[in-house]
Amino acid sequence: MKEQKNKDKVLFVIPAYNEQDNIEKVLKEIKENAPFADILVINDCSTDNTKQVVEQNNVTCITGVFNLKYAMAVQTGLKYAMKNDYDYVIQFDADGQHIAKEAIRLLEEAQKGNYDIIIGSRYLEDMGYPCPYFRKIGTKIFSFIIKCLCKQKIKDPLSGFQCLNKKVIQRYAKMGNYPEFPDANLIIEMLLLGYKIKEVPVKMRIRESGESMHSGIIKPIKYMINVLYEIVFIVIQNPRKKVK
Amino acid sequence: MKKIYFIILAFLSIFYVIYEVRKKKFSIKESFWWITACILMLVLAIFPYSIDKLAQFLNIEYPPSLLFVICIIFLLFINFRNSKQISGHQEKIIELAQHIALLEEELQEKGKK
Repeated sequence: MKEQKNKDKVLFVIPAYNEQDNIEKVLKEIKENAPFADILVINDCSTDNTKQVVEQNNVTCITGVFNLKYAMAVQTGLKYAMKNDYDYVIQFDADGQHIAKEAIRLLEEAQKGNYDIIIGSRYLEDMGYPCPYFRKIGTKIFSFIIKCLCKQKIKDPLSGFQCLNKKVIQRYAKMGNYPEFPDANLIIEMLLLGYKIKEVPVKMRIRESGESMHSGIIKPIKYMINVLYEIVFIVIQNPRKKVK
Repeated sequence: MKKIYFIILAFLSIFYVIYEVRKKKFSIKESFWWITACILMLVLAIFPYSIDKLAQFLNIEYPPSLLFVICIIFLLFINFRNSKQISGHQEKIIELAQHIALLEEELQEKGKK
């Protein structure tokens, strides 16, 4: 059983935009903790030296022709994973927030085979992660909506730290309408389709440098409206189908 | 009684937009402003006097002109947004075409070697 698990092809997908200061540390940490896994960095047309830093570390780097933004960069990684027949994908941030050791825990949980998506949750247990005000409100609202619509408690629906199995990789990679913000809306869609999702408590670091994609006031509001609107359509489009 | 025609029209518009999104002919993101406009139409159909009140508040003597102003602003907004997107797409298409041309040249060079 353990041998079989070791044979699984695992890919870390890391979307990166102007992360030259953080990416090297992230790559080294993954290599140390998960030497069996492959790493793919999607350099989303960074204007700094992200690409050069990644290549110096002998890691596969895909650079887009133009800026695709976070979600499409992730989907590019998933398409790569599908094309190269990977069994598991771990979505990992380039800003140093995610911890490679915790990613292994997500992978081990996924390899048990009972769940399709494993979410690394900051709030399932009190891990001392500081939560900005806007994020706190967003997390509570989306958790409540997920509970109402899908009858499942997801405490950290905004976490991008996830481990996906082959079935999910294929579904996401083939999605023509992969959402701009793949968070609670995508979780709801997958739950309504019958995919199984589990949260695992993880530790995360506080961002060291660079700017979050949800910083400021306008961006979080736009994000909330966007995701809520998408949830409405997901509910209209997916009247509880069961996955094969 | 006239009210009912406009309510039906608003509902038909909402259903049409949702239908197009469900058929995947229209993206969820792009449907947002049209759904907003349809809902506004529905609100105005149910409460037609709200436009009079708003005109009064804005010191507009002839309330129907406010309705036209709102419609024109909305259409101009959509038109401007579309033009902006077309410009962005044009740039991206050019970049993609150039990138493909360079890749093709690279492939041909590798083939010769």
